[in-house]
Amino acid sequence: MGTHVKNITQEVKKNKALFVMLAPAVVIVLIFMYLPMSGLVVAFKNYRYDLGVFGSEWNGLANFAYMFNSGTGWLITRNTILYNVLNLITSQLISIVIAIFITEINKKHFQKVTQSIIFLPYFISWVIVGVFVYNIFNYETGMLNTLLTSLGLEKINAYSKPGLWPFIICAFNSWKWCGYNSVIYIAAITGVDAEIYEAASIDGANIFQRIRYITVPCIKPTIITMLLLQVGRILRGDFEMFYQIVGNNGQLFNATDVIDTYVFRSLLQNSNIGMTAAASLYQSVLCLIIILIVNRVVKKIDEDYALF
Amino acid sequence: MKESKTKIKGSKSTKAFNVICYTVVSIAAMVCLLPFIILVSGSFSSEQAIRFEGYGLLPKEFTTAAYELIFKVPQTVIKAYGISIFITAVGTIFGLILIAMTAYVISRKDFKYRNVFSFFFYFTTLFNGGMVCTYIFYIQYLHLKDSLWALILPGMFNVFYLLIMRTFVSAIPTALIESAKIDGAGEFRTFFSVILPLLKSGMATIGMFLALGYWNDWYNAMLYINSEDKYPLQYMLYSLLQKAQALANIAGQASIPVADLPSNSLKMAMAVVATGPIILVYPFVQKYFVKGITIGSVKG
Amino acid sequence: MKKNFLKKVLGVALSMTLVAGTLTGCGSGQETKETQEKTETEGGAGALDTSEEVELVMYVVSDRPAGQDAVDENLNKLLKEKLNCTLKINWIGWAEYSNKYPLLYSSGEAFDMAYSATWLNFASLANKGAFKSLDELWPAYAPKNFEKATDAAKMQATIDGHYYCVPTLLSTYNNYGLIYRTDIMEGTDWDGKMETFEDVEKYCDIVKATHPEMEPLDISASGPEWQNVFMFDQGMSYVTKGLNSLLYDPAEEKPQVKAVYDVEGLKGFLEMMTRWNEKGYFSKSALSDTDSGKTANGKAAIKIHNIDSYRDISAQHPEYKFAFSNFVKDIAHLPYTQDCMVISNTSKNPERALAFWDLVTSDQEVYNAFFYGIEGTSYELNDKGQFSITDPDLYTTSAMWAARTDGLNLEQVGTPDDYQTSIDQYESQIVDGKGNEKYTGFVFDTTAVETEVATCNNIYQQYFYPLVLGYTDIDSGLEEFEKQMKVAGIEKIQEEAQRQLDEYIAGLE
Repeated sequence: MGTHVKNITQEVKKNKALFVMLAPAVVIVLIFMYLPMSGLVVAFKNYRYDLGVFGSEWNGLANFAYMFNSGTGWLITRNTILYNVLNLITSQLISIVIAIFITEINKKHFQKVTQSIIFLPYFISWVIVGVFVYNIFNYETGMLNTLLTSLGLEKINAYSKPGLWPFIICAFNSWKWCGYNSVIYIAAITGVDAEIYEAASIDGANIFQRIRYITVPCIKPTIITMLLLQVGRILRGDFEMFYQIVGNNGQLFNATDVIDTYVFRSLLQNSNIGMTAAASLYQSVLCLIIILIVNRVVKKIDEDYALF
Repeated sequence: MKESKTKIKGSKSTKAFNVICYTVVSIAAMVCLLPFIILVSGSFSSEQAIRFEGYGLLPKEFTTAAYELIFKVPQTVIKAYGISIFITAVGTIFGLILIAMTAYVISRKDFKYRNVFSFFFYFTTLFNGGMVCTYIFYIQYLHLKDSLWALILPGMFNVFYLLIMRTFVSAIPTALIESAKIDGAGEFRTFFSVILPLLKSGMATIGMFLALGYWNDWYNAMLYINSEDKYPLQYMLYSLLQKAQALANIAGQASIPVADLPSNSLKMAMAVVATGPIILVYPFVQKYFVKGITIGSVKG
Repeated sequence: MKKNFLKKVLGVALSMTLVAGTLTGCGSGQETKETQEKTETEGGAGALDTSEEVELVMYVVSDRPAGQDAVDENLNKLLKEKLNCTLKINWIGWAEYSNKYPLLYSSGEAFDMAYSATWLNFASLANKGAFKSLDELWPAYAPKNFEKATDAAKMQATIDGHYYCVPTLLSTYNNYGLIYRTDIMEGTDWDGKMETFEDVEKYCDIVKATHPEMEPLDISASGPEWQNVFMFDQGMSYVTKGLNSLLYDPAEEKPQVKAVYDVEGLKGFLEMMTRWNEKGYFSKSALSDTDSGKTANGKAAIKIHNIDSYRDISAQHPEYKFAFSNFVKDIAHLPYTQDCMVISNTSKNPERALAFWDLVTSDQEVYNAFFYGIEGTSYELNDKGQFSITDPDLYTTSAMWAARTDGLNLEQVGTPDDYQTSIDQYESQIVDGKGNEKYTGFVFDTTAVETEVATCNNIYQQYFYPLVLGYTDIDSGLEEFEKQMKVAGIEKIQEEAQRQLDEYIAGLE
């Protein structure tokens, strides 16, 4: 312990300015994020309003039971992870491809206009996406079925086919986030030293080689950071997205329920603060475990890419 | 002979690639643009037309009823715009400096505890105190109730943006920092006069994300703001929409008289009103995404 | 070494948060206990001391009307004179109530009274200590109100042996049925009858044939509702609102609690619904349709709800003609806690708050000033004594719905003629201690089975809604539903409900 203190004081002396630069962020995070964290104990308590978080009695793991007592815990955990993995892969991949394509376009106006347009879906809230989804897929008057009948094909009752929904959700997710994520990649690509490209074209590299040997390696750190950041939320479902697209339609739940939607529905009737905290703690702990493993693997491969 | 061959090959593949580029980007743009057009036309359609005929590319039974509802009391909307602009501007400027500075420190390879601090920050994305305790803490001990600081401070330091910013900082050659040091520049001067100018695309990206985050945030306003004259735009609109939805939801259980509001066109009009200004700002941000921006500085 | 340091940083951070947490207390437990004791000792004193002027703070759930200031001013003049107090109303908007309403009681904020209701989880909040016990306060400081409240109302207000709210004094009835359009039937050979499911089917067939642009039945994502009509038609009652999977028959001597899948005739009902689905009476995607205003906007012909909705929809849409057909045979009063007033744990002036409540619920002048606002400005009375709202954008009626009281409550202009006759008829049908009325005082305390209730509600929504709408195969669907319900612990809730019900019956005798 003594050596640690010594090490720290030494380090502070050596990099005083750096510590000063770090201080505001540390203080803000400590006050606004760490201090309220003490409330997590409520996950193990039978919360009473008159006793407060710390005065309430402990009740062990009882708050966690509702997630698991009918076997749904496993299903919703699995769904959450699968959706996140699927969404992660598709949306990042599409964003990267779009970013590369857009930066390769020479016509500046076309480039700017399309880039702006692709950003538009980000502004369309999930409430409205939900309206669109219903207007596309509803059986009687939906756009899809109107199209199918006009082509002389048979109507599809999408709401009775849960298997379709992972794809629908995934498609809308990619659609919504594609512009947003591609901005990060576009910024990363534009940050690449233009001289490298010039040198490459003088060497006679074709466009594919340029992308493969220059662009992709240059944005690799960004890609890995984005992936790691997303992995850190692998057990959190985008509640608004699922809730607005699927809503109360029980037919689809087995294929679309994630932890967040299940918890929301379960606690609608009794607003149990302890149970809400329990679910969130469960997600956090699993996320922590997964991210520690993934980060360690990344570190083994290349230390520079690790998150911490 | 040899040289010209590769050139031809190069231009051929470049041409093919260009075709693919334009097609894919155009298709993507169409897929993103169409719903927006439908949304705008929906906001100008009458509620009955939407109910019976659905949405289309052109407004059906053109009306501005939804906008009239939003702009019923124009002063409130203007005020809400003002509040939104204020918190977005203040939060983005301070947040951006804070994030860039912190990202710089934790990406310094010679800073021993950078991983420890990275983890210290990252940990907060995994765990949080939950709504109840955060709320009580902010209200009782930080006295943030009905204060605009409650909308600015919690969102100022976003760990996701920090880590993305770190990748931008990492892309700057370490040699630059060293040479600045050799020139006798202190840490602050190195950061402000050497690093920041090289971070333009990163700053543009994160600045835009911060601004969007502040602009779109209604959740903190919902929790902490009580007086209507402090509502930011998004929350003002959100509460308008929620009213219709909440009344519909509880109508089945409660004995409360329910009036109908034009909910469908209202949703669309809200999106237009809230999105408009930010779309106008976007081109200004875009100019920082120009290829090779770092060139001059690195050489200099 | 690095790892150790990391551990330590984590440790330090965590212990710091814990220290801070204990310091801050995160909810002021002890304080409230003290104040509670204080008021309890003072509670018995009786006579109200109005020498000191106080400001009462009341929370309601709604959006603040633009014209509230004038209404407040008018009311406060009255209150100042009668009770030496003023009232400040705080609003929890529709956008925030689901998050903020429970927080109200944990934030330690000092306020006196609030609106509560079954749909705001009154019982669950009371169980968890959100409100002040009114055992002494209610009879002492609101004696007129206490006297007027029926025994059933008092039983409903009792949670865990204590009064935790003052229920509304407005009688409402468990009527439930069909609100349907009659104007679209003109010129058809419709026989005008709407009493059985066969009548509904005939009506819907006519709608289908004559108004193809309409959906005969108004069904949306909030739930199919028709299962309720069927259950009530069968004479069954739900054990508690908010748990639709358990029912009993109040006509039985010793009612047995049944799971929903054991109710007689369910299969026949589901077969009928499947047929209705095939006939296209409602959308095949109804459970994803968030538009709940289809009937009000002329898109659908039959909506299921109660006579109050019928009154409102008729008043709001005079261009259509509606009729109402009640499907509940055994009429009884609805729980009076449907709307209620609670006193906060943090209230500094509970005595004055209750005195104010007593006044509002007994004095027509104060009631009008509180509920309808200012006569001539915010509302007008016609010669029949009916009120009409002058400008709905400025002020409608108070959001403190719990203040509504029989005898003080006014009828709104535009109320259909058969509204009051039906209400009178309901009241005359009720026999104390018989059928459903016998059980109006029964409140199922779900504390012991909270986990199971949460899961069963989920299963009900997931498996039973699609069954009711004929979206899933009846036999295999029912089997799966039953299986899932059993795994979720329906039998445990059933046992608990049966035990409490038996206890209730024993207590009556």
